[in-house]
Amino acid sequence: MRTARRRFTWNTVLWAMVFPQRGQRILPTISGMLLILLSLGVGMAAYNSANNILFITLSLLLACLILSGVLSWLNFRGLAWRLEIAPPLRVGHEIAVGLGLRNRKVFLPTYGLWFEVVARHVANGPPPPPESTITGKDLKDLDVRAAWAQATSADGRGQLFLRERLDPRSETRLEWLFKPARRGRLRMELASVGSQFPFGFLRKLLTTELREEVVVWPAPVEYRRLAEAGARRTAGGERTSRTGSGGDLLALRRYAPGDSHRLIHWKASARSRSLLVRQFAAESTEGFSLWLRTDATIWPRPEQFELLVSFCATLAEDLFRAGQLISAALDDEAPVPVRRVADLELLLDRLAVVQPGKKTPASDGVGVTKAKRNVLTFAPDGARGVAAYVDGEKTATV
Amino acid sequence: MEKKRPQFNLDELHRLKWLLGGMLVLLSVWTVFYLDFQAWTLMGLTTVAVITTLIWPGLPARVPPWWHRLAFPAVVLFFVGDLWITGQVLPAIVRLDILLLLYRGTTYRQKRDDLQIIILGLFLIVVAGVLTVSLVFAAQILLFTACALAFLLVINLVESAEVSPVKPNAVDRPTWVNMGWRRLWARGREVADWRVITLGGVLFVGVVGLSALLFLAIPRFQLENSLFLERFVTKKARTGFNDTIKFGDVTEIQQDNSLALSVDVTDRAQIPAAPYWRMLVLDEYRDGTFRLSAPLRRANFTGEITSSIARGTARAPKGEPVFWTFYFESGVSRYLPLLGPFEQLRFGETQNFRLAAKLGVLALREEPAAMIAYRVAGMNVADTLEDASFALRLKDHKAPDRLTSTLQMLRVGLKDPDQAVLTGIVTQITGGAVLSAGEFTRRATAWLDKQHQYSLSPVVPPGVGDPLVRWLVSHEAGHCELFAGCFVLLARTAGFPARIVTGFRGGTWNAYSNNFTIRNSDAHAWCEVFDLPTASWLRADPTPGAVTGADEKVQGEATLARRMDRGWSARWDSLRVFWYRRIVNFDQRTQAETLKAVKTATEKSGKQLRVTLSELVERLKTWLASPWTVRRVAKLFSALALLVLAGWAWREFGRGWWRQFRRKDARADPVRAKAGRWLREFSSVAQGSVGKAEAESARSAGAGQATPPSNEAREVQQVRAELERLRFGARATWPEPEPVFRRAQRALRAARRRGRVTGS
Repeated sequence: MRTARRRFTWNTVLWAMVFPQRGQRILPTISGMLLILLSLGVGMAAYNSANNILFITLSLLLACLILSGVLSWLNFRGLAWRLEIAPPLRVGHEIAVGLGLRNRKVFLPTYGLWFEVVARHVANGPPPPPESTITGKDLKDLDVRAAWAQATSADGRGQLFLRERLDPRSETRLEWLFKPARRGRLRMELASVGSQFPFGFLRKLLTTELREEVVVWPAPVEYRRLAEAGARRTAGGERTSRTGSGGDLLALRRYAPGDSHRLIHWKASARSRSLLVRQFAAESTEGFSLWLRTDATIWPRPEQFELLVSFCATLAEDLFRAGQLISAALDDEAPVPVRRVADLELLLDRLAVVQPGKKTPASDGVGVTKAKRNVLTFAPDGARGVAAYVDGEKTATV
Repeated sequence: MEKKRPQFNLDELHRLKWLLGGMLVLLSVWTVFYLDFQAWTLMGLTTVAVITTLIWPGLPARVPPWWHRLAFPAVVLFFVGDLWITGQVLPAIVRLDILLLLYRGTTYRQKRDDLQIIILGLFLIVVAGVLTVSLVFAAQILLFTACALAFLLVINLVESAEVSPVKPNAVDRPTWVNMGWRRLWARGREVADWRVITLGGVLFVGVVGLSALLFLAIPRFQLENSLFLERFVTKKARTGFNDTIKFGDVTEIQQDNSLALSVDVTDRAQIPAAPYWRMLVLDEYRDGTFRLSAPLRRANFTGEITSSIARGTARAPKGEPVFWTFYFESGVSRYLPLLGPFEQLRFGETQNFRLAAKLGVLALREEPAAMIAYRVAGMNVADTLEDASFALRLKDHKAPDRLTSTLQMLRVGLKDPDQAVLTGIVTQITGGAVLSAGEFTRRATAWLDKQHQYSLSPVVPPGVGDPLVRWLVSHEAGHCELFAGCFVLLARTAGFPARIVTGFRGGTWNAYSNNFTIRNSDAHAWCEVFDLPTASWLRADPTPGAVTGADEKVQGEATLARRMDRGWSARWDSLRVFWYRRIVNFDQRTQAETLKAVKTATEKSGKQLRVTLSELVERLKTWLASPWTVRRVAKLFSALALLVLAGWAWREFGRGWWRQFRRKDARADPVRAKAGRWLREFSSVAQGSVGKAEAESARSAGAGQATPPSNEAREVQQVRAELERLRFGARATWPEPEPVFRRAQRALRAARRRGRVTGS
């Protein structure tokens, strides 16, 4: 949607030069306070004595302050930034949050910036309605400090410094190492861009609207396989055609970055004028269906529920790597086939945000669907643990 | 994408910071050159110490730690002792400031210490500027501002480049001191981008322009309070312009060629041919000294007035008022130079003064510490000074029984032998006749001129009696004070009230700033003789070379033409006058006038532009409307063709030239330049042994001989190839430059050695 451009007026320009724009904060540093006090002192002495030498000094001090503002403006001008976050993000795994910087100016470099990056957990569900009015009744119950602390709380907060000169028409990348603490949606925000350039009189802070939402997958967990159940598992199972590393050609798909060049089907690519790669069928057609029930009555303890989700995600990944994951289902939803990496990622995205839910039809925790075999289900194992069952038999615990 | 330029690393930035800090210290302490405080030793010490530590920045690390522990108490002790001994607050503070700058300039600094340097330096410069109002202040504050801004910029870059800020102490040797200045210079050349430097220069000019605009636009209002700093300084006037002068004092001032007074006048026609800038009237002669007598002081001087306006007794003639603006330098006198009595005198700020309106003399309470400006309206520039009341008093007090100011002017005060000598000379001058004051003046001047010549090194013959009388009867040469003193004694002996006036005579007209310039070398002493019939004081200048009555009729432009000064000193003085007129003496009234002038000029230029544009449009219309002939069409097409040709030339040559110009910095790459130098070295000896070695290898290749070229020839070829790569090749393909240069040096040396052997 295009917004109507504001009409240019000199008043607006002059006012913008005097008063910081919306989203800008300008704070004096120690040097700045010194300069302001010095200007005040010299100004008072100048008026007191009507001495033009002091008026000259005052004029120079004020001109330096204006020069500082102009240089600061030039420093920020033509600068573009973007957040570069490479998934996957997992709980407990360190990731590098990149900040791409580009100086689009023709010949002026940029110096001495810092960036404050904030990672905030996003609650599930629709965003709360904006509170535009605070009534007296609200104020009674409102703990302003707590509300402010909640609003500004963050899972992680980091500062990135541009320590070297950013040449004109060049780019650079700054990295912040961050370790997510919990699964779910995480909003990465570039909270502010600051600088004391050029003379360190003023600390100029720009707030930005740059934010990126990413999903943090559950943390992988160590689990214990139970041998007898594993052996029995191969006795029967659902047969399905899935991609794998077998010898039979299953399908052709578009080339994706990272695919081996050996898999490119040159003839088909030439016909379709786009790169296509071969997909082979998996040699083993044995597989499991994963069914996760989030019934809050089964999982009353949050920490146990978290363990369940992590365990489920770990198992799903392990089975997929082994080519043994056929489908996955959450609660009473229809099972979704998991054939490609994208399917697995979709499953992990779902697991990242899943919360204890309503009661499902078979909520006894060990119930097995009659329609399918090799269905992997989960149930509490004691007060803290979680056990995985294949067709009702305990297969693994954590 | 632009080519990646190198940038300063942290050590280099620290080194640059050190350099700029040292420069700021030096710039600040050099205010002592024009600040009249006794701080030369400290200034010299600071200069030597700071320059030494700038050249060898590792030196501060060798100073033992106890020195730094003692530094603060020592500085405090120095200040207290200084204050106690001298008893002057401001000079003591200035010396303390220099001492602190010395310490900060020679020790490793943290950020707060760097800021201290700026504050201390600025204080010193502003104090010097306020106290001296010198033009040097303008240059110094601009240089200081440029250095301070660069200093702050580097501090900020250091801060942003430091991963974890290291707090240096004054003892530890930092790593950046190991780097040489040459290397920093070379790095600076690599790092510098002419466009950024140009922009920096433009921005600084912009800062100066902006501060000038702010200076003009800052609203002014007078708080009627005198400056606080001046109260902390006491200055001593030149003795020649004090209320007691000994013979030789004025002449001593004449040895000094510095500027004493600059005068602006609104109507040049009013400038007299021989301006006498009177400062002080001396009436009492005692013990070989003329002084301002107590009766004259009591009779003529008012009590102390505290005001910015002094109202005189003279009345301005009808017509356009004439204003005289005086810029009187400090260190000359507390008596202000004037051409005569005035109607009104206005200072820039409130002053404490005593006024002798009839004498045309105004004395400030203290000698001004800085240049003082005042504007005079309705000034009487004639060579006579009306004084009807004196005439009345003179008639009333014929009997010399009371020592009044009137009779003081008649009193010779010499012993009888001297008095007899004087009487004899007066008889010789007058021939026994009763003369008018004017005639007596003419004859006495002629007599003195006949007896004595002018000299700045007079000799008063030794002997008994009054020194003036001894000189009078001799034939020794003399200076203005002797001539004036003797004339006063002769006039009084002849019965004419007379007195000495000191001040300046003449001056030059500055052709650049259009003002009168009077130097200390124009100091002069002359006389005034009272003429009873006209009830006025007549100016009498008995010194040889004084302007005669005929000359005095020449006024205005003719005077200026005679006194025109177009020398280099006049250029410098014109700068100083500009500084005084537009900066120092800038006040609310000047501000209003300036703004009005700017408004008028803008309106006028806008109107002119509109007229010019409409004329152009009219001419174009007329040109288009006139009948089209073959010649006109040819002209039009010729012009169009020229335009197209110019466009083509720009496209073909100009653009390329511009690109070449922009790539100039690539040519200035030190590695490429060095490689070029080595290649030239190789070329210069190409006819010699290097050429032989290469030719040898070429011959072997050409003849298809199995013998490979010699090692030396191969080495030369390789080195030359690598040098060419460094000179012309892409940077990415460069070998490591320094080893290549070393190999080139070895190869060239070997080749030259072989050339010498074969040559011998």
